[in-house]
Amino acid sequence: MSATVATMRILVVEDDKLLSEGLVSVLSRAGHAVDYTASGKYADTLLGQESYDLLVLDVGLPDIDGFEVLRRVRARHSPIGVLVLTARDAVEDRVHGLDLGADDYLTKPFSVAEFEARVRALLRRNAPPETRVSVGGLTVDVAAKRVRVNDKAVDLTPREWALLELFLTRPGRVLSKDQIAERLIGFDEPLSANAIEVHVSRLRTKIESAGVLIRTVRGFGYLWEGGHE
Amino acid sequence: MTQPSAPDSIRRHLLIFLSGSLCVMILGATLVTYLVALRSANDAYDRSLLDPVVDIAANIRSDGSGARVDLPQKALEALTYDQLDTVIFQVRSERGDIIDGEEELEPPPAIPTGEHIFFDSTYRGAPIRVAALHATNGFTVQVGETLNKRNRLVREIVLAEFVPTIVIGAAAIALAWFGVARGMRPLEHMRAELLGRSPRDLRPITNVTVPTEIAPVAEAFNGLLRDLRDASTLQQRFLANAAHQLRTPLAGLQMHLELLLRGELPTNVRAEVERMHSATVRASRLANQLLALAKAESAPDQGRPLEVIDLKAVGDAAARDWFSTAIAHKIDLGFALERAPIEGDPVLIPELLDNLIDNALRYTPPGGAATVSTGVRDGAPYLSVEDTGPGIAASERSRVVERFYRVPGTSGDGSGLGLAIVKEIVDRHAGSLEIDTRGANGGTRVRVRFPPPGPLAQKPSPA
Repeated sequence: MSATVATMRILVVEDDKLLSEGLVSVLSRAGHAVDYTASGKYADTLLGQESYDLLVLDVGLPDIDGFEVLRRVRARHSPIGVLVLTARDAVEDRVHGLDLGADDYLTKPFSVAEFEARVRALLRRNAPPETRVSVGGLTVDVAAKRVRVNDKAVDLTPREWALLELFLTRPGRVLSKDQIAERLIGFDEPLSANAIEVHVSRLRTKIESAGVLIRTVRGFGYLWEGGHE
Repeated sequence: MTQPSAPDSIRRHLLIFLSGSLCVMILGATLVTYLVALRSANDAYDRSLLDPVVDIAANIRSDGSGARVDLPQKALEALTYDQLDTVIFQVRSERGDIIDGEEELEPPPAIPTGEHIFFDSTYRGAPIRVAALHATNGFTVQVGETLNKRNRLVREIVLAEFVPTIVIGAAAIALAWFGVARGMRPLEHMRAELLGRSPRDLRPITNVTVPTEIAPVAEAFNGLLRDLRDASTLQQRFLANAAHQLRTPLAGLQMHLELLLRGELPTNVRAEVERMHSATVRASRLANQLLALAKAESAPDQGRPLEVIDLKAVGDAAARDWFSTAIAHKIDLGFALERAPIEGDPVLIPELLDNLIDNALRYTPPGGAATVSTGVRDGAPYLSVEDTGPGIAASERSRVVERFYRVPGTSGDGSGLGLAIVKEIVDRHAGSLEIDTRGANGGTRVRVRFPPPGPLAQKPSPA
């Protein structure tokens, strides 16, 4: 799905030099335009003037803390995606951060892959809806609801299509059967855990030759690995 | 906590003192009674002893041939007759010659003419009481009697006094016993209160009524508790800060090493960088664990208030957080989650499960499986993690919850803090931790049971 991510403007607010250099380096290599500051006040000024697609925000800043920056961002009704980085108590910060309007959070330390995945997910969320997604040998035309595997058209039932759509929006995330059932609730009959297994298994059979992997989380749900990105 | 034996007991001191004093008082009272009784007996019997003396003195006739008692033998016998005592008499002339009666009676002390006295003497080796009269006609008449009646009276009086005194004394000792026990009760309560506490409970003693006498002790103790609490809070805050401060540079380090590993590196350099990376990850984990330990250790009233938490939801979150790690370790991580509400700390309970899953993934060889279960069994909510790893030998199970203890010979890069953190968190929630081996393949199963939620806000006293 890398092809669908265009150049985005990202602001990194982090006062630790080593970490911020790393973050900037990762984001630049992914092809984004990255600005960097260690000051919460300056970040607030920048956010008021410039138009960013994503804010990577550390909580512990020397002047005003990240939560305050976030509060001011949301007070301006800015739709910017915000990824909060925290070195403090994960759960407390997470709850507080999400209350203030953060879109996601990462507890330090984190792996580069984890950071990249979260950034991608946030950018995708704020990007215009994709019309065409291709993963490995799988090509999905979202608008036309058409699926091709290795250039061969594949027919999906409405439920299989709904499942595929759900997986495509949550690559790399574990989905519980409860979540899937909730998502597919629009259909006439409520879905049992067994029914979900049947639908996933059919979807899997239809698209597995494309090199995408739907992992089973035993007793819990599924994980769409999304092939190679 | 062992109960200290009482080498020095206030109660024993008080009882010995009170009993001793009472014994001395009873003895004193008995002596006084004896003296009073003796005096009363003498007063009573001396008067009747004087009667024959006066009668005999009045009947002394003297003529040319000498003096004699002019009484018929029968009358004399009647005068000196007694049921219990031997009564004897003696009449002496002015010159001291015995003119009638018993010869062996000692001469009396000097008596003024016309006076009488009573005195103690002996007769044939036995103690006697004597009444003596120096009559106006010059003769001295003595009548003596043995002490049987008097002694009997004294005995009766002393006994009549002694029995109630002993009863009263015994009652006083018993009352003292109960009184002391009653007086010591606040101390007992305080002791029970302190013994029943968890070692982390540093709240001041307030729920025991403290009498004024030991109020200073309680105050001093509360002061000590306060200091301890401050010190422990300070230590935990330091630990938490240190862990926080470590996280950011470690995050930077880890990120740079990962970026380095993405590029082209000579094989030997890559191996080195990989080792550095894994050491960084380990250090990060250690920082997280120290932080968790600091949180788990804080005094119960200093942490967040307990909330009703569903262990199933904690398991759900763990499934999302841990599945990719499990894939990386090539371990089939599965779940069997049923609703299991508990009253718990919303930060520490996920920490507990994270540590259990981390251990399972760390020590189970690739290709193995680990399963997280939650639910309610026999009314008790539980959370368990079992794996197909090497298991923990029965002899090691009590030691693995010690800090920094690692089972000898285990591979893996654990810090030895995981189960210590789990134990702290379980203790804090008044739960029970059970480590055993499950199934033929002998993996580890760690099961934590919690008290059911509900009107448990007040922890029941362990008495």
